[in-house]
Amino acid sequence: MRTYIIRRLLLGVLVLLGLTLLTFFIARVVPSDPAARWVGPRATLDQIARARVQLGLDKPIYVQYLRYMADLVHGNWGTSIVTHQPVLRDIKIYLPASLELIISGMILAVVIGIPLGVVSAAHKDRAIDHLSRAFSIGAVSLPTFWVAMILQLVFFGYLRLFPLSGELDPAIKLAYPMHQITGSYLFDSLITGNWVVFTNAFSHLILPAVTLAAYPLGLITRMTRSSMLEVLNEDYVRVARAYGMTERRITYLYALKNAIGPTVTVIALTTAYSLAGTFLIEAVFNWPGLGHYAADAVLAADYPAIMGVTILVAIFYIAMNLAVDIVQAILDPRIKAA
Amino acid sequence: MKRGVVRVVIATLILALVVGVTGCAESGNTPPVAVYVSANQVVVFWDPSDSFSNEIIMMNNVYETLLRYDPEANKLTPVLATGYKTSDDGLTWTFDIRKGVKFHTGNELTADAVKASIERTIKRGNGASFIWAPVKDIKVLDPYKIEFDLSYAAPLDLIVASGYGAHIFDPKAVQQNGEDWFSQGHEAGTGPYQLDSFKGKEEVVLKKFDQYWGGWKGKHFDKVVFQEVSEAATRAQMVQAGQADFVDNLPIEQIERLKSDPKVTITQVPSYQNLLGLFNTKKPPLDNKLVRQALSYAVPYDQIIQDIMKGYATQAKGPVPKGLWGHDDSLPQYKLDLDKAKDLLKQAGYPNGGFKLLLTYASGDEIERQIAELTKASFAKLNVNLEIRGMPWEPQWDLGKATKPKDRQDIFVMYWWPDYTTPYSFLYNMFHSEDKVNFNLAYYNNADYDKLIDDGQKISGANRQKAVDLFGQAQKMLVDDAASLYFFDQMYVRAIRSDFQGYKDNPSYPHVVFFYDTHRGSK
Repeated sequence: MRTYIIRRLLLGVLVLLGLTLLTFFIARVVPSDPAARWVGPRATLDQIARARVQLGLDKPIYVQYLRYMADLVHGNWGTSIVTHQPVLRDIKIYLPASLELIISGMILAVVIGIPLGVVSAAHKDRAIDHLSRAFSIGAVSLPTFWVAMILQLVFFGYLRLFPLSGELDPAIKLAYPMHQITGSYLFDSLITGNWVVFTNAFSHLILPAVTLAAYPLGLITRMTRSSMLEVLNEDYVRVARAYGMTERRITYLYALKNAIGPTVTVIALTTAYSLAGTFLIEAVFNWPGLGHYAADAVLAADYPAIMGVTILVAIFYIAMNLAVDIVQAILDPRIKAA
Repeated sequence: MKRGVVRVVIATLILALVVGVTGCAESGNTPPVAVYVSANQVVVFWDPSDSFSNEIIMMNNVYETLLRYDPEANKLTPVLATGYKTSDDGLTWTFDIRKGVKFHTGNELTADAVKASIERTIKRGNGASFIWAPVKDIKVLDPYKIEFDLSYAAPLDLIVASGYGAHIFDPKAVQQNGEDWFSQGHEAGTGPYQLDSFKGKEEVVLKKFDQYWGGWKGKHFDKVVFQEVSEAATRAQMVQAGQADFVDNLPIEQIERLKSDPKVTITQVPSYQNLLGLFNTKKPPLDNKLVRQALSYAVPYDQIIQDIMKGYATQAKGPVPKGLWGHDDSLPQYKLDLDKAKDLLKQAGYPNGGFKLLLTYASGDEIERQIAELTKASFAKLNVNLEIRGMPWEPQWDLGKATKPKDRQDIFVMYWWPDYTTPYSFLYNMFHSEDKVNFNLAYYNNADYDKLIDDGQKISGANRQKAVDLFGQAQKMLVDDAASLYFFDQMYVRAIRSDFQGYKDNPSYPHVVFFYDTHRGSK
């Protein structure tokens, strides 16, 4: 097992290397002048020329790449062309809001998706199954930005139940200053017992979290349903039934444990995907997260920021993949043997 | 056991949901806070010496200048300087520095600090530091008196009042903390508000500076929040819902919609910003003045003002916007007249048009796109095929700076606004001859014109009337030469909360709200 993990980690480093190479060159061949962007729209030619030297853009591109990698190894992720701040510092600012959104969305998707899939499989071809299948297909296929806007229209526009956008009301934020620990308003207010901020942050989180949950929810439901169907036809289930065990015990205790493998993979991969994929949701809800940051970076051809986000997402992906394999091995001893 | 856990989780979620829903009800008893919502990044540069972007909106509340320009009275009001004198030749300027002013760092404002601030800005050479080009020497006469020696009689009173590059900061803060200290997100101003917190590039919170020299006796806000919200529809909703006091950059449809809401007030004021379409005067057929004049007669100006701008603009007269000193209201205007245009084309040797032109504009700018479409349709009637291309700023500018004039665009559409309150900014940047192309994207090259505006600039500190005359003659040349299309002078249109009071739009400081002057009133 240990050699397996080490091998996977080494492979991960290789993947990262290839990715940085690819991203760096793609980001730099786009027609755009980072030096002009750096000094702003009203710069003189002299200012642009100085910025080009300052940013090292006067060197050949492979030298730029090597310099970037050398800095990266030393923990310097470069400075954003748009914000003029260190990229790592920017990421630390924007990541907590994204994680807050992703984690709550995924919890929602798992808590609803798995039971729905199980129920759907256990009652195959009955009304509840049809309903759940229609629901999950809808959840997967509706465009997120559309779902987001419909939710806004209904729950803010008509019902006034939830706020329109943002992470927290500015007035609340100012009236109840908070000690920042993780940078997530929801989490920090919870552990410091700041209830006014917590409830406000929570009400802001609901619509974006529901939007984010839609896609993984559909996937998880369908994945759980199909692997449950397979497992429920296995001999040992029939044996269990013959022993006179309750249907409930069979489904949730024995069958689910064996059927959960593919679902875990889906959960892990969609979680990793969400880190970069939330930008539509973040744009509509004006959610100050990493997706927002990444989208702005791409539009501005802000290559240090694009690199930073790409590397972070890649690390996250690789880590998630590894975690999945380990969890699979724990869940299913056959994998470990192989 | 397992089932128990699941039940607890579900129960908690439901409970939290209920609490969350009730939690979004109105909260009372909050301190007076003003919220400014902008379409753009709140801070690009934190360093007051480098600042040349949207951050001036926030910075003009944190930092102050020696003087401030009042466009209504066309005079300068004292801020950090209590008075100033200029010699007859306009080469020596003396300012009296206000006593008893504290920086946010706790240090006191002195003439030495003013000198060190400006010298640092000049030395760094970034942003708008070029506004100080005429300054030869700065002398501290006594702790509260400072003298500027100029190499020519530039309007130093307007320069020290600039919204960019003229902010006075505590130089000790840099000496103690290093050159990069500002850029890391710090400030050391004298303004009524000081930095409370910020989040990335999109949110800055300011709080009142208790020791502000102006005092806090009247009605003021305790805190000011600046937020970036890129979605226009969201910005409009925010001002309607009372979540924003001031919203900028709304599309005209949104403005029209908000007009009927009693909770929102729409203000409009002529700005110093105009939209131009610079002709490539170095590339055939536009190197022919008659062709440029013909095309100037083929733009549907009235339709642009009425249908696209819905009246929030006026047709420009020359390159200097109305309201800015140096604007010449007697300049002729081109009007839509296709017969005249055809005549001129015939004289130029293009009786049936028959040429192709490329117009570039800022992609994402709906107004520019619509104007480009209308112009294209109108040019088509002359059998002139106008290709329109929306581009991001950097590539658009790069194309304009291409080495060979024939590789460049034919018409470059862009907005201009002055760095400080002077017509020279328009006349120099866009039309003064350049060795290497920067902003003269008309590639206009006229020695007589250059001399007129340079002479004007060199005496505008001593004899402003004479300068206005010279600038007027120069503008006549530009209009007659049709170096550019002059589309319109823009109005600034703002949506503000109806109970947000005391706000006055000052076009010398574009989009800036001086929050110290504002307060929450009754609706």
